Amino acid sequence: MTKHSIETPKEKQNRHKAMEAINTINTMKDEFKNPIAAMDAFYELYEDVYCKQKALHEDAIKVGTMCIQIPSEIIYAFDAVPIRLCNGFYTDDEIGSDLLPQKACPLVKATVGHFASGNFSDKPHFVYSPTTCDQKTKAGATIEGFGYEVIDVDFPRMKESEISREYFRQSIKEFTVDLSRRIGKKLTRKRLKNAVHKIGYAQSLYHKLCEYRKKEHVTISGNDMFFITNAFFFDKIDSWTEKTQRVLEELKQREKENITVAAKVSPRIVYTGSPPIFPNYKIPMLIEQSDAVIVADETCSSNRMFNDMVAVDEWNIYGMLDSIADKYLKACTCPIFTKNDDRIRRIIDLVKTYSADGVIYQAFAGCTVYELEQRSVLEAMEKAGIPILYLESDYSPSQGGQLSTRVEAFIESLKMKKRKQG
Amino acid sequence: MQKIKKIINNMNLQKVRFVIQLFSFILFVYGGYFAIDLGSKLPIFACPYNGEAAGACYLIPFQHQLSMPAQILLGGAGIAVITGLLGFLFWFIFLNKGWCGYVCPFGTLQDWLTYLRKSMGIRYSTYSQSQFEKLSKVKYIFLVIVILFPLLMGVGLLGGEWSAAFCQMCPARIISPTLNGDFSQWTIDFSTKTAMVLTTLGILFSGLFFVGSFVKKRFFCFFCPMSALHYIFSKFSIVQLRKEGSKCTRCGDCYAVCDMQIKDIADNVTDVNILRDDCILCLKCVAACPEEDALHFDILNFRAFSSTKEGFEKRMGIKN
Repeated sequence: MTKHSIETPKEKQNRHKAMEAINTINTMKDEFKNPIAAMDAFYELYEDVYCKQKALHEDAIKVGTMCIQIPSEIIYAFDAVPIRLCNGFYTDDEIGSDLLPQKACPLVKATVGHFASGNFSDKPHFVYSPTTCDQKTKAGATIEGFGYEVIDVDFPRMKESEISREYFRQSIKEFTVDLSRRIGKKLTRKRLKNAVHKIGYAQSLYHKLCEYRKKEHVTISGNDMFFITNAFFFDKIDSWTEKTQRVLEELKQREKENITVAAKVSPRIVYTGSPPIFPNYKIPMLIEQSDAVIVADETCSSNRMFNDMVAVDEWNIYGMLDSIADKYLKACTCPIFTKNDDRIRRIIDLVKTYSADGVIYQAFAGCTVYELEQRSVLEAMEKAGIPILYLESDYSPSQGGQLSTRVEAFIESLKMKKRKQG
Repeated sequence: MQKIKKIINNMNLQKVRFVIQLFSFILFVYGGYFAIDLGSKLPIFACPYNGEAAGACYLIPFQHQLSMPAQILLGGAGIAVITGLLGFLFWFIFLNKGWCGYVCPFGTLQDWLTYLRKSMGIRYSTYSQSQFEKLSKVKYIFLVIVILFPLLMGVGLLGGEWSAAFCQMCPARIISPTLNGDFSQWTIDFSTKTAMVLTTLGILFSGLFFVGSFVKKRFFCFFCPMSALHYIFSKFSIVQLRKEGSKCTRCGDCYAVCDMQIKDIADNVTDVNILRDDCILCLKCVAACPEEDALHFDILNFRAFSSTKEGFEKRMGIKN
């Protein structure tokens, strides 16, 4: 006799999340031409973590981070593992909808929902939350209500001033002291230096991948890049490095054999705005399914995480900590800052260096800062003569029709332009 | 060509600079032993109070020429001032402020004090932004002393005891001979009140020089009137430090390594010529910039040393 059991809410959530995950993974595997074999290792990783709930860091101390501004270098220096908790699941978004205002950002709702469900394959021991955007800043208190320890980390909203620099340098020092106390280890010069080098090496691999995207024949799709960079949120760093190296080797081979992911007339797109986080690759997939190719991005789940590297003059602990703090503050192009010319300059520079034909700016409905900055970015692009499409989306699986019409029309217009230019 | 460029852009700047500085230091402190004399128009603190210096700091003849009686100065002697200045410019245009970062023995001495501090595991100090802005002006006050005091002597408003007033205060006058075993300058001149005050200041500044440069990188350069004089002519030099703002992400890496705490190097994205008055053209910023060609050191319009990702990774010790 078969035993029947009623699915628990947790199992149901996991089943829904697994469905979302496998859907994205399978689309990636099946619907794009010339898939990269070395990417399978990444797809497998996502399947293990999100479909099979496999824990990757069982014995390690897991430090949750709510935003990109908590330096991984410092966490690794304590032999702990940073886990970035920005979430892309619609299932979690729905759970979070009951806890936050209806018009809140889906990313924040999904992150809060994730904590509410308590359904982690790698549950963080404690969480650091930098005071970046309003919604994340306030989400910390809600998350604490579910029995997690959330430590707020001061983060300035202005980055031009000298006060901000001093302030964040101090904030990072305090974060380090707090982390040292919680983990019960002392930070040593050697360990921190090694961690800076380790992250630096991961960044150098990212930059090498990007070199292939600058070329006329693009050998890797933007969606695969999002898979790779997004894995850095939770993967074991050494394993991530290994997998990425294998992708690089394959790209080298593909370049020789002239295997590309896009046709010659496929418009080259720079993607900017609210971060695509697995499995919410709705817009990036739509773009590449419409025969365009994302050659670069300006988002905090990808480019912003890897682009800027730490430089140190004297490798003592305080020298390194200050350099790390500067990098995480000064180079950041997040729209939470008062003025943000740096972001505009970055986008224009990406369009130039990656010979892009247009920009697609996506904001989550409810992600106020990206919605607010849309105007200034659109104006700047118009001035620079760069075609740009602004989209608003959320995590819901519906809404596809209207979005795809707009994306396809934009890409078609870029294609026409490209054909005319020959 | 491409290969040579790559080797240069990937070089270990710290080592290269150390070697050049060591060589220049020997030349300008002990060059006399090899009977080398490069004249008295040098744009560095090669102090002739040290008998074995291979040349002399331009500020000495400059002060002496300006202190000539006014009617002589306005007559034929004015030409001597101009030719002197041209002599100074002749040297200056080749290296711009690179004289400070690579050649000046006084600068090198400070860098060695920095090495000493580093080896002891002590961290350097920095100025706050407001301190920086105030202190950065001191060098112009010294430059005014260099120019104005001799002129006042010329018209008879100041007496002969004010001769080469800056030199009397200058720590290089006291420290340079010391490097050759001559401690005779470590004295206070009691002949006149003025001399007493000036030489006392000199001793004070020399003491400060050692303490200051031990805790603060390139402590003295902030106050150097030669640096101020350089800056007036820096645009005419054939070597320049340039920046392409569009490539800059303002990550602050260059600022983090700058010995002179020049903020503009990281924050200013509009000026192409990014050489500032405090700059010593040591090029550490170029070496620490991870963006391709965002910062570059140019000889005329040729990019002699550019920031590159690869070079950055090599210099920061990121394994490949």
